[in-house]
Amino acid sequence: MDTLVIAMFEILSFGAIVVLVVLGLGIIASMMGIFNFAQGEFVLLGAYVTYLVHSVGLPVPLGMLAAPVVVGSLGFVVEKLVVRRFYAAPIVAMLGTYALGLIIREAVRGLTGGLYLSVPEPISGSITIGSLHFAAWRGVIVIITLLVMAASHALLAYTSFGLRVRASLENPSLARASGISTGMIYSVTFAFGAALAGLAGALIVPVFSLFADLGIRFLIQGFVAVMVGGVGSFAGPVAGASVIGTFSAWLPWLMSPVIADVLVFVLAIIFIKFRPQGLISGRGVNR
Amino acid sequence: MSSTGTGIQPPPPVIEAARSPVTAFAFAGRTKVLPILELALLIAASIAPLVLRDYITVYATRVLILCLFALSFDLVWGYAGILSLGQSLFFGMAGYGVALLSRDFGVGSIFAVLPAGTLIGFVAALLLAGFLLLGRHPSSVVFVSLGTMTGAYAADRLARGSHYLGGQNGIPSIQPMTIGSHELSEGPGFYYLVLTILVLIYLLSRFLLRSQFGLALAGLRENEQRIAFFGYKVQHLKAIIFAISGAIAGTAGSLYAFHEGFVWTNMLGVVMSTQVVLYVLFGGSGTLIGAVIGTAIVEGLSFWLSDNYRDIWPIILGVLLLLVILFRPLGLISLVLGERERVGHFGPSLKEKRNAAP
Repeated sequence: MDTLVIAMFEILSFGAIVVLVVLGLGIIASMMGIFNFAQGEFVLLGAYVTYLVHSVGLPVPLGMLAAPVVVGSLGFVVEKLVVRRFYAAPIVAMLGTYALGLIIREAVRGLTGGLYLSVPEPISGSITIGSLHFAAWRGVIVIITLLVMAASHALLAYTSFGLRVRASLENPSLARASGISTGMIYSVTFAFGAALAGLAGALIVPVFSLFADLGIRFLIQGFVAVMVGGVGSFAGPVAGASVIGTFSAWLPWLMSPVIADVLVFVLAIIFIKFRPQGLISGRGVNR
Repeated sequence: MSSTGTGIQPPPPVIEAARSPVTAFAFAGRTKVLPILELALLIAASIAPLVLRDYITVYATRVLILCLFALSFDLVWGYAGILSLGQSLFFGMAGYGVALLSRDFGVGSIFAVLPAGTLIGFVAALLLAGFLLLGRHPSSVVFVSLGTMTGAYAADRLARGSHYLGGQNGIPSIQPMTIGSHELSEGPGFYYLVLTILVLIYLLSRFLLRSQFGLALAGLRENEQRIAFFGYKVQHLKAIIFAISGAIAGTAGSLYAFHEGFVWTNMLGVVMSTQVVLYVLFGGSGTLIGAVIGTAIVEGLSFWLSDNYRDIWPIILGVLLLLVILFRPLGLISLVLGERERVGHFGPSLKEKRNAAP
């Protein structure tokens, strides 16, 4: 019974990490139709910013606050300079953002010297409930993920900014005719997606430690999750991420980690093959 | 451009054929650049070992093998619009396959290993295409790219975890390839062998692409729906070209395994398959020679720069790639090659074709 609860917690916390990583990817893919191959590197950059703040002697939580801001600003600039040119050709966008990711990844590799660098957990130790111990930081990740998810949904569903984003998504020309600067909306949406990735990177760096290929690890996982969940809605990628995260954390309990890792992806691809629209085929943001 | 930035659209043609009669006319009168370029490159490649030092010849052999690999990616992406991000799967599987043949059965004869590698690539690609491309619903480009990428990632992971395949270290010290009783080691001999194979496959691909099949493929790339409307089985065409490209990647992979003398997991994985995307985009997809030029330039630059600027070389490469994608989406080849000539023409005459087109 106790192991079961511990296992459930492990699965939950890993699922939360995947959701956090996928959320930004899903928002950019669903709201803008761009599959951002640099998303994994945005996660990496968030992790690096946190490490940087830590290494100059400032507290880690400060770095975690700085990461989304820095990565979001970079996302804003990148959208203005590069991604903007790709809206007419989503496939070229994949290649362009891939090149972008390559630049970020190799820059970080150069800066870290190809080492594995660790960042301490801001809240260490464990929470004890009865006879069970839970890693405190993983609990914090779960809580923050839930908060971020709720906040993102509220932002898109209930605020006037969200309304503008959805309007630009559904009918760009009408949105422009109604006085919405769609160009600006796209920049901000992309920056928002990047900031979420930055936050994800900052939160998970104590768990995974910092290395240059941190982003790749999550990139394929993220894409598979978005496709499984369904592109076009807010709930789709979240649902997909939950499913993929759960399976990725659960299967290694049953079989060797290597087989489990591969099996999750293969199953996901087979699922997408027979249900291309994903788990949730709706469009837009449900309120 | 932001007006169209919503949802998922049918993939717009990355490469636009010159449609206006004016451009077509302008190019029709000029001398053809393509044959001159091809011939010049062939001559340069033929005399290279005579003037280069031995260790550079060995490096050049590797580049030629990678050119072959790049050709295979160019066939699927540049001609059929299939974004295969797992091309290394066929390259690596063939490499591992011939390495096992050599290790477990002592087979090293070129007449056994090259066909074996080609067959492995062909069968693997055919199976993957059967799953990814065929079926009731036509697959989206994103799905196919994701599926192929996952394939490469999975193969990499499995090879890393397998003791039989040597795990992280791969399979070292493969015996040299033999022709009859002659052992083929690195150097000019191997170089000319690879060059011959490359030229043969290049010519075969060129012939294939200028045939009726190639015409259908070109149509597929430009407008998939229209080709389907004409009664072509779009998915079958795609599966065929995918399998052919897998076979070429397999040939390249088996050559690579014997040239390097070992195989390791990177050959299978995402690293290698993104590298080939890079080559082709850089040189110019949709032209066979573009893939060759792209590979030669990227590998040449990396040979030259990685000695002095090892750390920043990958960053430079990324920046260059980004610049090419942004400002020269047709690759470097578009600097010298006109639109009309790049697309090429099919059948008896241009005029006839244009009249026949809807």
